[in-house]
Amino acid sequence: MSLETRLAIVFGLVALAVLAGIIWKTRSGRAKKVSSGEQINLTEIAAIKDGKPVTEFGSRITFLQFSSEFCSACRQTARLYSELEQVHPDVLHIEIDITNRTDLANKFNILQTPTTLVLDSRGRVTSRISGAAKQQTIQDEIGSFVI
Amino acid sequence: MSETTKKSPAGIDPRGPRFGAAITSALLLVTVFLALDPATLGAAFGLLLIVTASFVIGAFFGNSKHPYGFIFKKLVRPRLAAPKELEDPRPPQFAQLIGLLVAGVGVVLYASGLTGALIFAAGAAFIAAFLNAAFAYCLGCQIYVGLQRIGLIRKH
Repeated sequence: MSLETRLAIVFGLVALAVLAGIIWKTRSGRAKKVSSGEQINLTEIAAIKDGKPVTEFGSRITFLQFSSEFCSACRQTARLYSELEQVHPDVLHIEIDITNRTDLANKFNILQTPTTLVLDSRGRVTSRISGAAKQQTIQDEIGSFVI
Repeated sequence: MSETTKKSPAGIDPRGPRFGAAITSALLLVTVFLALDPATLGAAFGLLLIVTASFVIGAFFGNSKHPYGFIFKKLVRPRLAAPKELEDPRPPQFAQLIGLLVAGVGVVLYASGLTGALIFAAGAAFIAAFLNAAFAYCLGCQIYVGLQRIGLIRKH
C-alpha cells in the first residue's frame, strides 16, 4: 500500500471519529416530546430523596433522572437539576440508580444514562431527554409548564 | 442523594483521564498507520501491546497508578487552573476495561494468525479514545445499561 493511501485511510479514520462526535453531541441532551403520556407510579420506582421515599410529584414539573454506576455525565446532570430545584420550589428532581433495577431499564427502554423523563404535575410523561441535559433544555421544559 | 453518590470514592480531576485518552488515541492512530503496510505490521503489533498494557493498568489499578495519570499530575495539572468539579474515578476505569477488551481481542487474533484483525481492533479503540479525549464521550454512560440489559453484566 502506498504512503498516500495509508495517510488517506488514517485521515479518513480521524474524520469519521470527528463526524461521530459531532452527531453524538448534537443529538444528546435534547428533549423529545412523548405523546403516550404514561403515568409514573412512585411506589413502583421506589424513589428515595434525602433519605425519604418520594410520595408526591413536583407541583409544576418533575425531572425523573435515571443514572447508573459508571456514568460521569449523570453526576453533572444531577447537579444541574438540583440547582434549578433550589431556585424553583415547584420543580422536583428525582434520581434513580438503575444499576440494580434492570426491570425499570427494560420498562422505560433505557439504553444510556442519564436519561430523564419529564413529568407533568400529575406524574405523566411529557418528554424524554436522552444524555446529559443542556441547561437551556431544562429551562425550556420548565417554561413549557404554565402555572 | 442517590445510592451511587453516597458510596463514591474520592473524586479525581476529570481532565486526567481525558489527557490519557488523547495519548492513547494518538498511539492507536499510529498503530493503524503501521498496520497498513506489511513491512511495519510487526511494529504495529508491538505498539498495540503497549496500549493494551496501559489499558490493563487503567482497568485494574485506576488512573492514579497510570503512567499517563502520573504525567498529567506532575507536568500538566500544575499548569492548569483548578478543575470546576471532581469526577468519580469509576466511569473512566470502566472505559479502560472496555478498551482492554477491544485491544485484547486484536492482540489475541493477531497472535493466532488473523493479522488483519489488528487494524479493526486498533481502529475501533481509536474512535472510542478519540471521542473521549475530544468530546468527553463517556463509554460507561452509553453502554453499561445496554450490556446489563442483554445480560452481559450481572450485578450481585
